[in-house]
Amino acid sequence: MAATKTAKEQKYDRQLRLWGDHGQEELENAHVCLINSTASGTEILKNLVLPGIGAFTIVDGHKVSGEDVGNNFFLSNNSIGRNRAQAATELLQELNTDVSGNFVEESPDKLLDNDPEFFHRFTLVIGVQLPESTCLRLGSVLWNANVPFLVCRTYGLVGYMRLVVKEHTVIESHPDNALEDLRLDQPFAELKSHIQSYDLEGMGKKDHGHTPWIIIVAKYLEKWFSEHNFQLPKNYKEKEAFKQLIRQGILKNEKGTPEVEENFEEAIKNVNTALNPTKISSGVDDLFNGEQCNAITSQTPAFWVMTRAVREFVQNDGGGNLPVRGSIPDMIADSEKFINLQNVYREKAMQDASVVSKHVESLLQSVGKPSGSISEQDIKLFCKNAAFLRVVRCRSLAEEYSVETVNKDAITCSMDGADGEMVLYLMLRSVDRFYQQHSRYPGVYNYQVEEDISKLKLCVNSLLQEYGLNVSVKDDYIHELYVFCRYGAAEPHTVASFLGGSAAQEAIKLITRQFVPFNNTFVYNAMSQTTATFQL
Amino acid sequence: MVTLQLVGSLRKELADSLSTCRLLVVGAGGIGCELLKNVVLTGFKNIEVIDLDIIDVSNLNRQFLFQKKHVGKSKAQVAKESVLQFCPTANITAYHDSIMNPDYNVEFFRNFMLVMNALDNRAARNHVNRMCLAADIPLIESGTAGYLGQVTVIKKGLTECYECQPKPTQKTFPGCTIRNTPSEPIHCIVWAKYLFNQLFGEEDADQEVSPDTADPELSWNPADTETRATASDQDGDIKRVSTKAWARSTGYDPVKLFNKLFKDDIQYLLTMDKLWKKRKAPLPLDWPEHQKLTCPQGVTGMGLKDQRVFGVAGYCQLFSRSVETLHSMLADKGDGAEEWIWMGNCDDPPAMDFVTAAANLRMYIFSMNMKSRFDIKSMAGNIIPAIATTNAVIAGLIVLEALKILSGDVEQCRTIFLNKQPNPRKKLLVPCALDPPSANCYVCASKPEVTVKLNVHKTLVLALQDKILKEKFGMVAPDVQIEDGKGTILISSEEGETEANNCKFLSDFAIRNGSRLQVDDFLQDYTLLVNVIHCENLEKDVEFEVVGDAPDKAPAPTRSQEEGKNVANGNKESSEPSTSSEAPAEQNDILLVDSDEEVPSSSTMAVSMESGGHKRKLHDAETGEASAKRQHLSQPSADDDNDIIALD
Repeated sequence: MAATKTAKEQKYDRQLRLWGDHGQEELENAHVCLINSTASGTEILKNLVLPGIGAFTIVDGHKVSGEDVGNNFFLSNNSIGRNRAQAATELLQELNTDVSGNFVEESPDKLLDNDPEFFHRFTLVIGVQLPESTCLRLGSVLWNANVPFLVCRTYGLVGYMRLVVKEHTVIESHPDNALEDLRLDQPFAELKSHIQSYDLEGMGKKDHGHTPWIIIVAKYLEKWFSEHNFQLPKNYKEKEAFKQLIRQGILKNEKGTPEVEENFEEAIKNVNTALNPTKISSGVDDLFNGEQCNAITSQTPAFWVMTRAVREFVQNDGGGNLPVRGSIPDMIADSEKFINLQNVYREKAMQDASVVSKHVESLLQSVGKPSGSISEQDIKLFCKNAAFLRVVRCRSLAEEYSVETVNKDAITCSMDGADGEMVLYLMLRSVDRFYQQHSRYPGVYNYQVEEDISKLKLCVNSLLQEYGLNVSVKDDYIHELYVFCRYGAAEPHTVASFLGGSAAQEAIKLITRQFVPFNNTFVYNAMSQTTATFQL
Repeated sequence: MVTLQLVGSLRKELADSLSTCRLLVVGAGGIGCELLKNVVLTGFKNIEVIDLDIIDVSNLNRQFLFQKKHVGKSKAQVAKESVLQFCPTANITAYHDSIMNPDYNVEFFRNFMLVMNALDNRAARNHVNRMCLAADIPLIESGTAGYLGQVTVIKKGLTECYECQPKPTQKTFPGCTIRNTPSEPIHCIVWAKYLFNQLFGEEDADQEVSPDTADPELSWNPADTETRATASDQDGDIKRVSTKAWARSTGYDPVKLFNKLFKDDIQYLLTMDKLWKKRKAPLPLDWPEHQKLTCPQGVTGMGLKDQRVFGVAGYCQLFSRSVETLHSMLADKGDGAEEWIWMGNCDDPPAMDFVTAAANLRMYIFSMNMKSRFDIKSMAGNIIPAIATTNAVIAGLIVLEALKILSGDVEQCRTIFLNKQPNPRKKLLVPCALDPPSANCYVCASKPEVTVKLNVHKTLVLALQDKILKEKFGMVAPDVQIEDGKGTILISSEEGETEANNCKFLSDFAIRNGSRLQVDDFLQDYTLLVNVIHCENLEKDVEFEVVGDAPDKAPAPTRSQEEGKNVANGNKESSEPSTSSEAPAEQNDILLVDSDEEVPSSSTMAVSMESGGHKRKLHDAETGEASAKRQHLSQPSADDDNDIIALD
């Protein structure tokens, strides 16, 4: 029985509480590629190796320098002069024997020249401290191969991440404060008859006090409907009146004073959320109307086949509603009543899921795929989460960088933001420009700092001009010019640690397909400890 | 070489001051490991680290300085050795010890330029807070829980201290709720933990599990007592010798234990019919006769075995098996060392099996929906989910705050909250300006003073010492003097001086309404003036009340909407991971904070809280969470397994 715990469950106990065993399984099947094992790179990887990704491969053509050893925990003095990918792999591997560590002693540019398909095999590619040209080249290879790409960078006291993924679908988005799916406004037949099996007036005191609040609300809603032309209580006043109606149902003792019935109190407390009309959110509706949902082919990913099947369900079987979720909140009730009620919802959910499953089957058949290629379990999970489906679509790097498709509005709007992260973004773009022109970053040599400031200024201006950015907050970036030149492209460990945590977290979201990753640019200002996300 | 990277981005003087700065890191767990790495690589040279804990398997998914071969060893010691392997030039001193040990006095704290907390429990946080105030050393406080995290800076006279904002007291449960009238699964889980200790561990009079005849709900009806007395005569088993002695006399026979706990005791409870007038009466269980138990019934949920809920028969079987296993383990240990205590060691499978089975059987008896082992483990141990990523982020933030302090820019420091994901304003981090000290803080005010309501005729001197001064006011070794003009010493921290007073009531020392007590904690260099208000009608089960304290009601909402999902009576579909830090942290403390009122004090950066919602629940586990600055790391427990805080 529950007695034996595998060593893995024990080791990963604290994280299973966040993403479950199926999330862990995804993690263990993932193969992540890290390009450049700098401080930020190894920090990211450390945070993926510890929770147990299946495998990693480091691609790095650099040799370990003294500077590397100074800020990178996974490189030591005796690795100076060796290949950085190899040295880092050895030490990272020690963190977790469940993980398979690999390395390629080559620069990403070489690989892109000789064997671009090398990158197709990965679940996710994380590129760290990449020059702009490499980043764009790799970005386009991965974009075409549908491999998610996470660009990460630590530049002095600035952290930067860019997620590049064509389409990332999320079934378990774990929304905060999701409403329950109770269908009290449109009870299904089985729920109706279950509600009917209760007779609040006729039952004994004990049963009355242990009737689940859902039944109570449903009962009084029937009464309300009959008096209000089948309209739900809509505004505050009507809801108060409805609560009053419930309150009158509380049993009274011989003297006529109301008894304490916690379940009734609970019913009253839940009126507001319980009376929310059942409907499909605009987000999910958009998915139903999307291209992927319309044109199902043999290549269509399971997510979209299931989305389409749910759409069929909504249109043909569900009377315009999603499959019943099948869970109810905890409430005051005795076990028997609670479990009976729960079973009504649960069985309906199973029924709905099996109808959806039939749709899945015929969709698969219609495109010549075996009907079992999407498992019942996946369909159940999908139905349970149908109200919370999310799809993240990022713009490509090419779109962000092209003069024609640059998101000018996002940039100019964000320039007004008080924290100035957008200025930092533009500065990063400018130092890249500097690098392209001078083959080094500004301020790396102390004696050149002054000179570099004016050179960098030219880069900023040409960037703004080229993109036609009419940005007025000049003072901000002049200040940043000095600061950026002082950074000298340094990678302070503590900023790398922050970025390592944040980037690995996004990587885990992508790999487990749980929780919603950011879209698409993230900037961290370590001086003010502020962050911002932009859609660029 | 190490500091090379920083010279570029930080001032040269700062880089120099790092190498001379003496730093104390309190805790070598999840945050602690990250922190040690960060500080050495940022250029700190002289570091002392203290942790009393040893390494557990469940630490390895994030405490990267430890490996499997280190399990069972001192965290502080192994952390030091691992860091030195990578950075041989650092000068690290490790203490395998509690920071609350009197050896670490104010003088000790004065050795440091800066203290960083990477702790997991409130008692230690309170203590370090006081030590740093007394020594006037800046303190960086931090915590994480799941995806959430928080960092803040405490500087005497300049900022709020850790205790400026009253925190809800840790949730405790009245004895008679546990013994007689459980109404929530947690009551049954606590009962099962007590039972474990009674049977296999150290017996503790405060952890009684048998029916409580002194329940205030019944005490005034002598007729009832008589009936019960008869019942008790009829059934010899109910005569309370010691639970353990009795169990031993039966040879730990699982069926006999079962019948006593789940049948006889329940039948006995039923005789207290007053209790069941308004409650659903419990249902005594019979040991399933025909042993048709081979296959657990009613399996709910899918996924991990741990996440399933079995039927009653399944738990009967689990109960009997775990009793046998634990009994044979007891026997193996031999007589001398026959006790081991429920230290919240939820990672001990047989103990956890026993607690799961016993708690679920009791839940069934009291008409609650049973819970999976996984959920029970969360609740029994207050296990807080913990991952490497959050700790890495928080440790990164801590060092950056440290750099500001060392450059003399304490004013630039912030309290920073880490959100689960970017909030509606697209901020992952929410920095808030630090608040000035609260004028009536009972810790950092210039003359700390507090008013306590209690019944002087019913409060023992020992209760004043243990429950009020130590537990509530966080003192380690208090001395109490009555301001009665004579300077009567009520409690002395010197051993043997005032033990005789322990079992006397406060009124025996002429303490009455309006009396003032001067309380000193020499170690913490802390003096508190306690004003006593005599009060006859405190609520049931309330021994004392601190005037002006955060009402304890707020933090212990039975089930607000959000919580409901996580604390579900157990029939939550387990395909959904017990995610969201909420569930477990919940048992600890939660503050309901109105985030609308939160506007950062001054702050050049217009940051405001994610104020989408009305009341947001803040849990605070390893930390507070991210939405409201008021919330100060109450009860944080640094990630980890030490986050296991016994509920009792």
